[in-house]
Amino acid sequence: MLLALLAVPLVVRDEYYLHLFVISAIFVIVAQGLNLIVGYVGQLSLAHAAFFALGAYFSALIFLKLKWSMWIGLPAAAILTGLTAFALGWVILRVRGHRFVIITVAFAEIMKLVASNWIDMTRGFMGLPGLRIPALYVPGIGSVDISSKERFYYVALAAALITFWICAKLVGSSIGRAFVLVRENEVLAESLGISAFRYCMIAFVTGAAMAGAAGSLYGHYVGFVSPDLFNFSYLTIMLIMVILGGKGTLIGPVLGAVIFTFLPELLREASHYRMVIFAAILIVAALFMPRGIIFPLVEHLVPQRWRKNNAVTP
Amino acid sequence: MPSLLEVRGVSVRFGGLMALGDVSLAVSAGEVLSIIGPNGAGKTTLFNVITGRVRPSSGAVTFDARPIHREAAFQIAQMGVVRTFQKTEVFGTLNLVEGTLAGALARGDVDPEARAREALDTVGLSAKANFRADQLSYGDQRLLEIAQALAAKPRVLLLDEPASGMNHQESAHIVRLIGELRTKGFAIVLVEHNMHVVMSISDRVIVLNYGEKIAEGRPEEVRADPRVIEAYLGVQKPDAVAQ
Repeated sequence: MLLALLAVPLVVRDEYYLHLFVISAIFVIVAQGLNLIVGYVGQLSLAHAAFFALGAYFSALIFLKLKWSMWIGLPAAAILTGLTAFALGWVILRVRGHRFVIITVAFAEIMKLVASNWIDMTRGFMGLPGLRIPALYVPGIGSVDISSKERFYYVALAAALITFWICAKLVGSSIGRAFVLVRENEVLAESLGISAFRYCMIAFVTGAAMAGAAGSLYGHYVGFVSPDLFNFSYLTIMLIMVILGGKGTLIGPVLGAVIFTFLPELLREASHYRMVIFAAILIVAALFMPRGIIFPLVEHLVPQRWRKNNAVTP
Repeated sequence: MPSLLEVRGVSVRFGGLMALGDVSLAVSAGEVLSIIGPNGAGKTTLFNVITGRVRPSSGAVTFDARPIHREAAFQIAQMGVVRTFQKTEVFGTLNLVEGTLAGALARGDVDPEARAREALDTVGLSAKANFRADQLSYGDQRLLEIAQALAAKPRVLLLDEPASGMNHQESAHIVRLIGELRTKGFAIVLVEHNMHVVMSISDRVIVLNYGEKIAEGRPEEVRADPRVIEAYLGVQKPDAVAQ
């Protein structure tokens, strides 16, 4: 599996498809972060695209104003986005249900207004151009230029794999067990000594930091950051990746991110009907695979004895 | 023996409604205290106050001589005051071990699964440990609730109608189980409508009516109290008192 992922740039020579692989790797990170919040502690956050955009802006401003490269900008973006989520979470994780959802929307809109109107800092709708991918210093070889698509793919892939590893560790730990207990029955979990606030906060901050890191990668890769990143369409596609991929599973959102990055592009053949067909596929998937594509996949392809008996297996 | 859990002069007002008025109680380790009263008498509200889900308008709750009525629900549970619910609460899609380990996990136990299995064994559900909680019968779910609470290693166990909806055999099992837990030294507060259960296992009984304590005493004393009979039957019958 890992070999196949590593071989992608050797096999795929088409620049455009390579671009899609880079974008999918970045969205794998975003989707996994959102999955911690929506899939594991079960809070529908609509602020995730805003965290992604915030990460892109933090990293862009660090690059343009402080002249620090992405190697500092990326972890800084993750940390700053995580801190923003912590401050927001401190207030909004005290409410649940539709009130929580609405406040996350409001937060996203406010962030978009700030990015659009703080002209001195963000140049408003003109955006921030001129971001560059830094060289990578490899001991023994020296600096390596990684700005080509096939090389940047490995950076994005490494980041996606690290994110996957973090999520797997987290979900397998006692923290991950507490996540699921809070999701399944918050009142009961609290009555047995589990702080729902604490575990929602851990998921919210970790998930937001992942979105921030992905935003930083995206900004440097595309070379341009603008308030369009806050658009609802980004959020929609992120939610589709997580929910139709299979929320509350480790691999579901990864598959979702890859599939729903490629699917709209593969439908290009159908020219202007493609979004109609894409929408139809989404509706059918939502109707017939409500728990995500991962479950029918597992049921049909994986023998019973291989299936781990865990919280999300049917 | 000093009381483990004490409620002193607790009142709860929801707007103009007095849900609890100046209620006091105390329970010690190895004791079963039952709270009875008609529907709406404030029994569940009292549990909500003790476990931190409702703040008392006045009064205090102490556990082990420490005030706990300002603590969050999860902190009170971690200290060792754990409840079950009137409306069955389980982790529906998880198997019994995954759900029952919650309390042990919350206390930072090194092996929460082992604590969960012990607790399931205590209530007699270990044979069904790999079932999903929502696959259990109603009666088994009530037992599972007790196992969930036990895995949290409580010192005070608050049981909200554990025998409701159970047949005679199942409620007899609950009576035996509560007796066993008392022997192990738990302080048990029981809210129950099944009078057979209440009268057979309680050391003391408290009667609530319209949020106020109208009687307290040993089961046979309370059963003969005219105010209790009035609260339950609505009219005072001199001949009923005599029985």
